[in-house]
Amino acid sequence: MTTTDRHPVQSDSAPPTGMSVKKLPKRAGHISIAEKRRRRAGWLMITPSVIHVGLWTAIPVLATFYLSFTDYNIFDAPNWIWLDNYIEMFQDPVFVQSIWNTIWYTFWTVPVAMAVAVVVAVLLNQGLKMQKFYRTAFFVPQVTATVAIAMVWLWIFNPQYGLLNAALESIGLPGQAWLVDPTWALPSVILVGAWQGIGIKMLIYIAALQNIDESLYEAASLDGASSIRKFFSITVPMLKPATFFVFIISIIGAFQVFDQIYVLTDGGPANATTMMTYEVYRSAFQEFRMGMAAAQSVVLFAFLLFVTLISRRATKEED
Amino acid sequence: MTVNTVRAAAIASPATRKGPKRWYHHATGRQAALINVLLTIGAVTMLVPFVWMVLTSLKSPAELAQFPPTVLPQEWMFSNYAATLDAAPFGTYFRNSLIIASTHTIITIALGSLAGYALARVYFRGREAIFLAFVAMLMIPTYTKIVPQFLLVKFMPLFGGNDIFGQGGIGWLNSWWALIIPGGLSASAIFLFRQFYLSLPKDLEEAARLDGLGEFRIYAQIYTPLIKPAIATVGLLTFQDSWNNFLWPLLVTTSADLRVIQVGLAVFQQLDNTQWQYLMAGTTMATVPMVLLFIFAQKYFIQGFTNAGIK
Repeated sequence: MTTTDRHPVQSDSAPPTGMSVKKLPKRAGHISIAEKRRRRAGWLMITPSVIHVGLWTAIPVLATFYLSFTDYNIFDAPNWIWLDNYIEMFQDPVFVQSIWNTIWYTFWTVPVAMAVAVVVAVLLNQGLKMQKFYRTAFFVPQVTATVAIAMVWLWIFNPQYGLLNAALESIGLPGQAWLVDPTWALPSVILVGAWQGIGIKMLIYIAALQNIDESLYEAASLDGASSIRKFFSITVPMLKPATFFVFIISIIGAFQVFDQIYVLTDGGPANATTMMTYEVYRSAFQEFRMGMAAAQSVVLFAFLLFVTLISRRATKEED
Repeated sequence: MTVNTVRAAAIASPATRKGPKRWYHHATGRQAALINVLLTIGAVTMLVPFVWMVLTSLKSPAELAQFPPTVLPQEWMFSNYAATLDAAPFGTYFRNSLIIASTHTIITIALGSLAGYALARVYFRGREAIFLAFVAMLMIPTYTKIVPQFLLVKFMPLFGGNDIFGQGGIGWLNSWWALIIPGGLSASAIFLFRQFYLSLPKDLEEAARLDGLGEFRIYAQIYTPLIKPAIATVGLLTFQDSWNNFLWPLLVTTSADLRVIQVGLAVFQQLDNTQWQYLMAGTTMATVPMVLLFIFAQKYFIQGFTNAGIK
């Protein structure tokens, strides 16, 4: 077996679709010793992962649902209180505000940033000499730690010495207090989120653009279609699957915004930038209300599940 | 970990299939110039914070108190970096982050590839159920498991003064265990490895089995060498995710000896929030390794990110 072909990776078969699993051979009573050994080896290979994922993901998820119906402060045993946590959180104006803040943040950092990303991707796909440099520049914020880069933005937003106010005043606009001003705090946080998230959206769009059949554009050119026309009648429809994918991963990311809130505003001023994740954090690790935190995280999960199912259905129906 | 992916959708999506590079339209002349101007403005916007971070880290406190700020430092204070290391144990933080990210990467590659191989290429009872369970786990947001994860760590039996029922002590809190074990593996890494092993042809394993090779040798000697680029991709994404992780280390550690660099930055900022030159020097130390890693291994990062949306 030393003569293994080094290039069989490019198999001609269709790419794996992810979800299908081949059935076990039937007639389990007739398996050979070699087959038995293989099955045992399979089990040995997967056991560490099953234990790890079971202990650190599956059990915690189930525990979250259980805890959400309890009152639990770590020191005393959990106390079953039915739906009290859920009822209380929707009567809590701060949590309700955190839901609206999260939705508002998501609106600007997902659909709006996606629109910017698709334009950047199309411009980057024009065969320019510098395109590698541009692509790297747009993507670098994505690979750097949110906490670290939020520190830089904290300095840029500094009302007294910050770069942003200096830039605005140099063109005759008034400076703002940004992160400490209730009007400007959320837009400032959104700016950071959108800035950091453009890279990944752009990258997926570039990959999708490279898969569009060139002959479509050639045919359109022969018919005398303009660039704008080609963009809307060829590019946009062909990008639909990529759009769905970008939308889902971006929504999931946006709903879990936490690090930049922690660094930039601590949820303030006057809860103007608190998010659902931030309320989970506060309930659990500042107030030690584990049951309430669990209930809030269930609501967060429900939102994500809902958005995912709706958008999946919307994409399917049109096809 | 902050990985939250819909990798199933990712891999099924045509967006991720690699095709030949086809530049369907070459912009020329005035049009190209206009596009270059637009993209340059965009690229500068993306890079300004990084440049500002480095420039700030090299200025003196007196210069930082000027408004409007100077662009280039009047005096290049490279000594700020040494002073930063004296002001807070950033060296320790850096080392801790490096140890944790490397360990996570090694564990993920070792266990994730074994599990991915088993799911892709070995038939055994219960495989479909396990696979579907892993796929379901991909959908779980970090925040829907973080409270019980914290409780598991706190009540870990027989550790940190705990008795067999997990009572009486602090369990894994403030220990390397808490930093390394829970984040050591993710369902998404297993899923990605499975996809890579599935894409390999079947005749190799059939020939190997005829030769009497055991399953572990087929995994180690035949299939795994063929997915080296995939290992690089998953490894880099894991390293990056771990290096950038903030919430989990924040929750499970309080001692400065175990602090990772992201938490160290936040603590430094809260304690010393006027020394911007030191804070920016620390931030530079926290970001430069990832930026360099990205620039040198861009191919693998891009492959990984287009296959698996992260963050």
